[in-house]
Amino acid sequence: MAARVTMPEGRFMLAFPMLLFFGAFFVAPLLLLVAVSFFDDPDITVPGLSQYTGFLSDAFNWRVLGQTLLLGVKVVACTTLLAYPIALLFLAAGPRLRRVLLMLILVPLLTSVVVRTFAWIVLLSREGVVNSLLLSLGIVGAPVQLLHTELGLIIALMQIELPLMLLPLVSVMARLDPNVVAASQALGAGSWRTLVRVILPLSLPGYAAGVLLVFASSTAAFVSQSVIGGGRLIYMPLFVYQQATTLYNWPFAAAISVILVLAISLVAFGINHLGRSARGNIHG
Amino acid sequence: MTDRIGRRAALATGGLAAAAVLSPRKAAASSTVVAAHYPNTWETAYRDVVAPVLQQRHQIELVITPLLAFDQVARALAQPRGRPPFDCFCLDPGPRRTAIERGLVQQIDRAKLPNLQGVSPGYVDEWGVGVAMQVVGIAYNPSRVEKPTGWRDLFEPKYHRRVAITGFGSTFGTVAMIEIAKAFGGSETNMEPAFEAVRRLLPNVGAVALNSAQLPSLFQQGQIDIFYTNTNNVAALKAQGVNIEFVQPDTGCPAFATTMHIHARSTVANEAHQYINVSLDPAIQAALQEPPPMFIPTQTRTPLAPEVAALVGSHDALSRFIQHDWGVINPQRSAWIERFNREVRA
Repeated sequence: MAARVTMPEGRFMLAFPMLLFFGAFFVAPLLLLVAVSFFDDPDITVPGLSQYTGFLSDAFNWRVLGQTLLLGVKVVACTTLLAYPIALLFLAAGPRLRRVLLMLILVPLLTSVVVRTFAWIVLLSREGVVNSLLLSLGIVGAPVQLLHTELGLIIALMQIELPLMLLPLVSVMARLDPNVVAASQALGAGSWRTLVRVILPLSLPGYAAGVLLVFASSTAAFVSQSVIGGGRLIYMPLFVYQQATTLYNWPFAAAISVILVLAISLVAFGINHLGRSARGNIHG
Repeated sequence: MTDRIGRRAALATGGLAAAAVLSPRKAAASSTVVAAHYPNTWETAYRDVVAPVLQQRHQIELVITPLLAFDQVARALAQPRGRPPFDCFCLDPGPRRTAIERGLVQQIDRAKLPNLQGVSPGYVDEWGVGVAMQVVGIAYNPSRVEKPTGWRDLFEPKYHRRVAITGFGSTFGTVAMIEIAKAFGGSETNMEPAFEAVRRLLPNVGAVALNSAQLPSLFQQGQIDIFYTNTNNVAALKAQGVNIEFVQPDTGCPAFATTMHIHARSTVANEAHQYINVSLDPAIQAALQEPPPMFIPTQTRTPLAPEVAALVGSHDALSRFIQHDWGVINPQRSAWIERFNREVRA
């Protein structure tokens, strides 16, 4: 599926400033972070592995790592349920409705994630919109605890991360050849079968990209995790913050960051692999 | 023609923007003091009250960088060489101690601070000056819960689901936890009773906030009706029309000074002294104690405003409020934070 368009050699030079930028502001700090994690003391003088052995030998930390990755999986699953219907609507829509939908998808991205997170406090609190609605409809007798629960956090993250899932999904849908869908139906497949056998497999590359973005973003969403999740739900980014900012133990903070980055990369690698094999199935 | 002018203007604007980005300090006049301050209340008060006076009296421009105390120290530690990220710190006792131990601040020159006259000697040392007092107690919503009397009340069944707690991530969270430990028989070195009390409360806690900054919004949203905080936050919420009252616990209020310090590598130490001196001016301290922000003056030549006097009594009484030894506290905080994480984790 790789682009077969040949690129004149000189074009690569155009990417050089970007490479330089990434090298200086992304790769170099990352290497610095890794280097700092291999020191035993907060003053960064004694090299050693004690930060890693310290972190990994504690069952509590493993649970927190597991919970963090699990949170990512849960948010991805919920976002999927919300994103696919919208993407299918986009597929069925005409050009004008598509433009409106695209606008609606993009609008939340124009608001800062901090603002969106605080809006969710107003919605999820005991006297918030959600609880007032549930109470007035008689669905519950007393306010439901949503703020500072994992459910509330997943609801908020679902909305916050939704555009990251939708944008790649919608871009795949926009490129989907309508003739393929027409052919499927002409050959006798019903709507359901067309969806499952044709549209879903063809949308998988976009979906895989969306999964990757939502997973990485929600596992690292420190602001949402701490404000909506509260002090009782502990995820890896909080550990990093506590060690770096409150306790100034940078080697430990760096080691925790490296472990989190590795764990997320491992999952991302798996997703990427699945997306690639799915692509192979369609064309093979 | 128009095209050409447009391009030239664009280039000029772009160049200026780039210059501004590349040399933020150079673009400003040489007599600029960059001061770090706590976000919101402090930042606003100093911008509105102190900055104009500093400009008028000394032609010094005050640029405020909003950062919590821990973040100020982290930022300064992260920049061990070259131009400092800011010239003045505004800290509370825990981070202050770290800043001094790590060599981030320079000694002050008392001769350059004539307004030290009237500031209680307890709030001044060779490293910095207290510019306001923070008094920690219990805040509650009088229309929804009974007035609490002390720290032990937070754990009583009558307040179940209404109380928010926060751990050792902030200075007043830390001093409140120490006072809770003391109320149940512990001490600065024995936090066990506080952890036990927290463990008992957990099934019925209203909220466990990660940091103190989250508490006011939880209170405003009706998620909780009682939490520990300082008098400034209560004044700020009151000014927004929130129904909130401050209570001094029966065992007494902890109090600590918010101190200003000059960065060890500041190139404008003279101007920084002038800035601190203006902050200690009796008239400025009087203006800053109007609610909000209702900063409690360290300058005894400033008579206490009625609202402040109602809370703390007098300058003399204030100096007898509970103080903590941060030399004892700081080495234990890492373990306390870790323990708190484990205790409260859902």
